[in-house]
Amino acid sequence: MEQSGTSTPLTGAVQDLASEVVSALRSGGHSRVVRGATGIDGDDGITVAAVRILGPDVLLPSILLRTTPDTEDVALFEKAVTGFPPPPNASPASVWSHWAMTQALRRANASGGAYADGVPAGGEEPRTTWLEDASWQFLTHQLAVLGGLATPDGTSAVARIAARRPVDVARGFVRAVRRRDWLQAAAAGRWLVTLDGVPETLGLDAGLDFVDLMGGGDPRVALHLQAARLMRAGERG
Amino acid sequence: MTSAKFEIDVKEIQPTEVEAALDPAEADGVYRDSRECAALALAGGEGSVLLSPPTPRPKKG
Repeated sequence: MEQSGTSTPLTGAVQDLASEVVSALRSGGHSRVVRGATGIDGDDGITVAAVRILGPDVLLPSILLRTTPDTEDVALFEKAVTGFPPPPNASPASVWSHWAMTQALRRANASGGAYADGVPAGGEEPRTTWLEDASWQFLTHQLAVLGGLATPDGTSAVARIAARRPVDVARGFVRAVRRRDWLQAAAAGRWLVTLDGVPETLGLDAGLDFVDLMGGGDPRVALHLQAARLMRAGERG
Repeated sequence: MTSAKFEIDVKEIQPTEVEAALDPAEADGVYRDSRECAALALAGGEGSVLLSPPTPRPKKG
Protein backbone atom coordinates (compact mmCIF):
# COMPACT_ATOMS: atom_id res chain seq x y z
CA MET A 1 0.00 0.00 0.00
CA GLU A 2 1.08 3.53 -0.30
CA GLN A 3 2.07 4.95 3.02
CA SER A 4 -0.54 7.04 4.67
CA GLY A 5 -0.74 10.57 3.46
CA THR A 6 -2.23 11.83 6.69
CA SER A 7 0.20 13.69 8.85
CA THR A 8 0.06 15.14 12.33
CA PRO A 9 2.78 16.99 14.21
CA LEU A 10 3.58 13.74 15.96
CA THR A 11 3.89 11.65 12.82
CA GLY A 12 5.97 14.42 11.30
CA ALA A 13 8.29 14.38 14.29
CA VAL A 14 8.64 10.61 14.02
CA GLN A 15 9.54 10.95 10.35
CA ASP A 16 12.10 13.65 11.10
CA LEU A 17 13.61 11.55 13.83
CA ALA A 18 13.78 8.49 11.59
CA SER A 19 15.44 10.58 8.93
CA GLU A 20 18.10 11.64 11.39
CA VAL A 21 18.74 8.04 12.44
CA VAL A 22 19.19 7.12 8.77
CA SER A 23 21.61 9.99 8.38
CA ALA A 24 23.59 8.80 11.38
CA LEU A 25 23.67 5.25 10.04
CA ARG A 26 24.84 6.40 6.62
CA SER A 27 27.45 8.79 7.88
CA GLY A 28 29.05 6.34 10.23
CA GLY A 29 27.35 7.56 13.36
CA HIS A 30 27.55 11.26 14.03
CA SER A 31 27.09 11.84 17.68
CA ARG A 32 23.68 13.45 17.95
CA VAL A 33 20.54 11.86 16.63
CA VAL A 34 17.59 13.52 18.32
CA ARG A 35 19.17 16.91 18.71
CA GLY A 36 20.18 17.03 15.09
CA ALA A 37 16.74 16.33 13.68
CA THR A 38 15.09 19.06 11.72
CA GLY A 39 11.61 19.86 12.89
CA ILE A 40 12.39 18.61 16.36
CA ASP A 41 12.97 21.16 18.99
CA GLY A 42 14.24 20.33 22.42
CA ASP A 43 12.55 17.91 24.75
CA ASP A 44 8.93 18.93 24.41
CA GLY A 45 6.16 16.38 24.61
CA ILE A 46 6.02 15.76 20.88
CA THR A 47 9.73 15.03 20.69
CA VAL A 48 9.60 12.67 23.65
CA ALA A 49 6.56 10.92 22.20
CA ALA A 50 8.33 10.60 18.84
CA VAL A 51 11.27 8.95 20.57
CA ARG A 52 8.89 6.54 22.29
CA ILE A 53 7.25 5.66 18.96
CA LEU A 54 10.51 5.12 17.12
CA GLY A 55 11.63 3.11 20.12
CA PRO A 56 14.98 1.37 20.41
CA ASP A 57 15.92 2.42 16.88
CA VAL A 58 16.70 5.90 18.19
CA LEU A 59 19.88 4.39 19.64
CA LEU A 60 20.46 2.03 16.71
CA PRO A 61 23.50 3.91 15.31
CA SER A 62 25.40 3.33 18.53
CA ILE A 63 24.53 -0.37 18.41
CA LEU A 64 25.29 -1.07 14.76
CA LEU A 65 28.26 1.27 14.48
CA ARG A 66 29.58 0.60 17.95
CA THR A 67 29.77 4.24 18.90
CA THR A 68 28.93 5.94 22.16
CA PRO A 69 25.48 7.54 22.06
CA ASP A 70 25.17 11.23 22.76
CA THR A 71 24.42 11.84 26.42
CA GLU A 72 21.58 14.24 25.67
CA ASP A 73 20.04 11.71 23.31
CA VAL A 74 20.23 9.11 26.05
CA ALA A 75 18.62 11.52 28.51
CA LEU A 76 15.77 12.15 26.10
CA PHE A 77 15.45 8.44 25.43
CA GLU A 78 15.15 7.93 29.16
CA LYS A 79 12.40 10.52 29.32
CA ALA A 80 10.51 8.62 26.66
CA VAL A 81 10.86 5.40 28.65
CA THR A 82 9.64 6.96 31.86
CA GLY A 83 7.13 9.36 30.29
CA PHE A 84 5.26 6.85 28.18
CA PRO A 85 5.11 3.52 29.98
CA PRO A 86 2.64 1.02 28.52
CA PRO A 87 -0.82 1.55 30.04
CA PRO A 88 -2.58 -1.40 31.69
CA ASN A 89 -4.43 -2.26 28.49
CA ALA A 90 -1.43 -1.76 26.22
CA SER A 91 -0.96 -3.86 23.14
CA PRO A 92 1.81 -6.48 23.15
CA ALA A 93 3.65 -4.38 20.58
CA SER A 94 3.65 -1.42 22.94
CA VAL A 95 4.80 -3.54 25.87
CA TRP A 96 7.58 -5.14 23.86
CA SER A 97 8.69 -1.84 22.39
CA HIS A 98 8.96 -0.40 25.88
CA TRP A 99 10.88 -3.44 27.09
CA ALA A 100 13.29 -3.12 24.16
CA MET A 101 13.83 0.53 25.05
CA THR A 102 14.71 -0.37 28.61
CA GLN A 103 17.22 -2.88 27.27
CA ALA A 104 18.73 -0.30 24.94
CA LEU A 105 18.88 2.20 27.77
CA ARG A 106 20.62 -0.31 29.98
CA ARG A 107 23.25 -0.88 27.30
CA ALA A 108 23.65 2.85 26.75
CA ASN A 109 24.10 3.44 30.45
CA ALA A 110 26.31 0.42 30.96
CA SER A 111 29.43 2.50 31.23
CA GLY A 112 27.69 5.19 33.18
CA GLY A 113 26.32 3.12 36.01
CA ALA A 114 23.05 3.69 37.75
CA TYR A 115 19.59 4.05 36.37
CA ALA A 116 17.48 7.09 36.84
CA ASP A 117 14.58 6.76 39.22
CA GLY A 118 11.54 5.19 37.66
CA VAL A 119 13.33 3.48 34.80
CA PRO A 120 12.79 -0.26 35.02
CA ALA A 121 15.95 -2.30 34.97
CA GLY A 122 14.83 -4.10 31.82
CA GLY A 123 14.40 -7.42 33.53
CA GLU A 124 11.83 -10.05 32.73
CA GLU A 125 10.63 -10.28 29.18
CA PRO A 126 6.97 -9.69 28.38
CA ARG A 127 4.87 -12.63 27.33
CA THR A 128 4.77 -13.91 23.77
CA THR A 129 1.51 -15.83 23.86
CA TRP A 130 -0.07 -13.49 21.34
CA LEU A 131 2.55 -14.50 18.81
CA GLU A 132 3.03 -18.19 19.52
CA ASP A 133 0.46 -19.56 17.09
CA ALA A 134 0.12 -16.52 14.86
CA SER A 135 -0.62 -16.89 11.17
CA TRP A 136 2.32 -15.99 8.95
CA GLN A 137 0.54 -12.82 7.89
CA PHE A 138 -0.08 -11.64 11.44
CA LEU A 139 3.38 -12.75 12.51
CA THR A 140 4.97 -10.62 9.81
CA HIS A 141 2.81 -7.64 10.64
CA GLN A 142 3.71 -7.81 14.31
CA LEU A 143 7.40 -8.40 13.61
CA ALA A 144 7.34 -5.39 11.32
CA VAL A 145 5.79 -3.26 14.04
CA LEU A 146 8.59 -4.50 16.30
CA GLY A 147 11.31 -4.06 13.69
CA GLY A 148 13.47 -2.35 16.28
CA LEU A 149 14.03 -5.72 17.93
CA ALA A 150 15.76 -7.01 14.81
CA THR A 151 19.36 -6.34 15.73
CA PRO A 152 22.52 -8.42 15.50
CA ASP A 153 22.54 -9.03 19.23
CA GLY A 154 18.78 -9.33 19.55
CA THR A 155 18.10 -12.20 21.89
CA SER A 156 14.49 -11.54 22.78
CA ALA A 157 11.73 -14.12 22.86
CA VAL A 158 10.22 -12.34 19.84
CA ALA A 159 13.48 -12.88 17.96
CA ARG A 160 13.45 -16.53 18.94
CA ILE A 161 9.95 -16.93 17.54
CA ALA A 162 11.06 -15.26 14.31
CA ALA A 163 14.09 -17.57 14.17
CA ARG A 164 11.78 -20.58 14.20
CA ARG A 165 9.78 -19.31 11.23
CA PRO A 166 12.09 -17.90 8.53
CA VAL A 167 9.97 -19.25 5.68
CA ASP A 168 6.85 -17.63 7.10
CA VAL A 169 8.63 -14.30 7.46
CA ALA A 170 9.87 -14.67 3.88
CA ARG A 171 6.27 -15.24 2.77
CA GLY A 172 5.25 -12.18 4.72
CA PHE A 173 7.95 -10.15 3.04
CA VAL A 174 6.70 -11.13 -0.40
CA ARG A 175 3.13 -10.40 0.61
CA ALA A 176 4.09 -6.96 1.88
CA VAL A 177 5.85 -6.16 -1.39
CA ARG A 178 2.84 -7.24 -3.37
CA ARG A 179 0.59 -5.12 -1.20
CA ARG A 180 2.93 -2.18 -1.63
CA ASP A 181 3.29 -1.98 2.12
CA TRP A 182 6.85 -0.71 1.93
CA LEU A 183 7.22 -0.14 5.66
CA GLN A 184 6.20 -3.70 6.49
CA ALA A 185 8.33 -5.06 3.65
CA ALA A 186 11.40 -3.15 4.81
CA ALA A 187 10.97 -4.26 8.41
CA ALA A 188 10.33 -7.88 7.39
CA GLY A 189 13.44 -7.73 5.22
CA ARG A 190 15.39 -6.43 8.18
CA TRP A 191 14.21 -9.38 10.26
CA LEU A 192 15.13 -11.80 7.46
CA VAL A 193 18.70 -10.54 7.49
CA THR A 194 18.95 -11.70 11.10
CA LEU A 195 17.48 -15.15 10.43
CA ASP A 196 18.99 -18.43 9.30
CA GLY A 197 17.12 -20.65 6.88
CA VAL A 198 15.74 -17.94 4.58
CA PRO A 199 15.01 -19.50 1.17
CA GLU A 200 17.62 -18.57 -1.44
CA THR A 201 14.84 -18.28 -4.00
CA LEU A 202 13.49 -15.26 -2.19
CA GLY A 203 16.15 -13.01 -3.67
CA LEU A 204 16.28 -10.91 -0.53
CA ASP A 205 18.94 -8.47 -1.71
CA ALA A 206 17.04 -7.73 -4.91
CA GLY A 207 13.85 -7.46 -2.93
CA LEU A 208 15.36 -4.94 -0.53
CA ASP A 209 16.64 -2.90 -3.48
CA PHE A 210 13.15 -2.92 -4.93
CA VAL A 211 11.59 -1.79 -1.68
CA ASP A 212 14.15 1.00 -1.56
CA LEU A 213 13.30 1.99 -5.12
CA MET A 214 9.60 2.13 -4.43
CA GLY A 215 9.37 3.20 -0.82
CA GLY A 216 12.79 4.42 0.24
CA GLY A 217 11.61 8.01 0.31
CA ASP A 218 9.84 7.30 3.58
CA PRO A 219 12.42 7.76 6.37
CA ARG A 220 11.00 4.87 8.40
CA VAL A 221 11.33 2.58 5.40
CA ALA A 222 14.83 3.86 4.80
CA LEU A 223 15.74 3.24 8.42
CA HIS A 224 14.86 -0.45 8.24
CA LEU A 225 16.63 -0.82 4.90
CA GLN A 226 19.78 0.86 6.13
CA ALA A 227 19.74 -1.31 9.25
CA ALA A 228 19.34 -4.39 7.05
CA ARG A 229 22.22 -3.33 4.83
CA LEU A 230 24.55 -2.71 7.74
CA MET A 231 23.68 -6.02 9.32
CA ARG A 232 24.09 -7.77 5.97
CA ALA A 233 27.50 -6.16 5.53
CA GLY A 234 28.50 -7.22 9.03
CA GLU A 235 27.35 -10.72 8.33
CA ARG A 236 29.48 -10.93 5.18
CA GLY A 237 32.44 -9.07 6.57
CA MET B 1 15.01 15.21 34.64
CA THR B 2 12.93 18.28 35.41
CA SER B 3 9.93 16.17 36.15
CA ALA B 4 7.42 18.94 36.84
CA LYS B 5 7.99 20.65 33.52
CA PHE B 6 8.16 17.34 31.71
CA GLU B 7 4.82 16.20 33.05
CA ILE B 8 3.23 19.37 31.73
CA ASP B 9 4.85 18.95 28.33
CA VAL B 10 3.76 15.36 27.99
CA LYS B 11 0.17 16.43 28.44
CA GLU B 12 0.41 17.94 24.96
CA ILE B 13 0.29 14.40 23.66
CA GLN B 14 -2.62 12.05 24.01
CA PRO B 15 -1.34 8.68 25.26
CA THR B 16 -3.86 7.03 22.98
CA GLU B 17 -2.14 8.66 20.02
CA VAL B 18 1.17 7.16 21.09
CA GLU B 19 -0.35 3.74 21.70
CA ALA B 20 -2.05 3.79 18.31
CA ALA B 21 1.23 4.62 16.63
CA LEU B 22 2.95 1.78 18.46
CA ASP B 23 0.48 -0.81 17.25
CA PRO B 24 -0.89 0.32 13.90
CA ALA B 25 -3.44 -1.82 12.15
CA GLU B 26 -2.50 -3.28 8.83
CA ALA B 27 -4.09 -1.21 6.10
CA ASP B 28 -5.73 -2.63 3.03
CA GLY B 29 -3.27 -3.64 0.38
CA VAL B 30 -2.92 -2.14 -3.06
CA TYR B 31 -1.55 -4.57 -5.56
CA ARG B 32 1.35 -3.80 -7.79
CA ASP B 33 1.01 -2.68 -11.36
CA SER B 34 3.03 -3.38 -14.47
CA ARG B 35 5.31 -0.41 -13.84
CA GLU B 36 6.42 -1.94 -10.57
CA CYS B 37 6.85 -5.35 -12.17
CA ALA B 38 9.17 -3.81 -14.71
CA ALA B 39 11.07 -1.98 -12.01
CA LEU B 40 11.48 -5.18 -10.07
CA ALA B 41 12.82 -6.97 -13.09
CA LEU B 42 15.39 -4.22 -13.53
CA ALA B 43 16.26 -4.11 -9.86
CA GLY B 44 16.93 -7.76 -9.39
CA GLY B 45 16.56 -10.81 -11.44
CA GLU B 46 17.14 -13.29 -8.66
CA GLY B 47 13.82 -12.58 -7.03
CA SER B 48 12.02 -15.48 -8.58
CA VAL B 49 9.43 -15.60 -5.87
CA LEU B 50 8.76 -11.89 -6.10
CA LEU B 51 8.37 -12.14 -9.85
CA SER B 52 5.83 -14.93 -9.72
CA PRO B 53 2.26 -14.03 -10.66
CA PRO B 54 0.44 -11.94 -8.08
CA THR B 55 -2.09 -13.54 -5.82
CA PRO B 56 -5.75 -12.98 -6.71
CA ARG B 57 -7.39 -9.95 -5.25
CA PRO B 58 -9.72 -10.81 -2.41
CA LYS B 59 -13.34 -10.91 -3.45
CA LYS B 60 -15.67 -8.54 -1.72
CA GLY B 61 -19.14 -9.37 -0.68
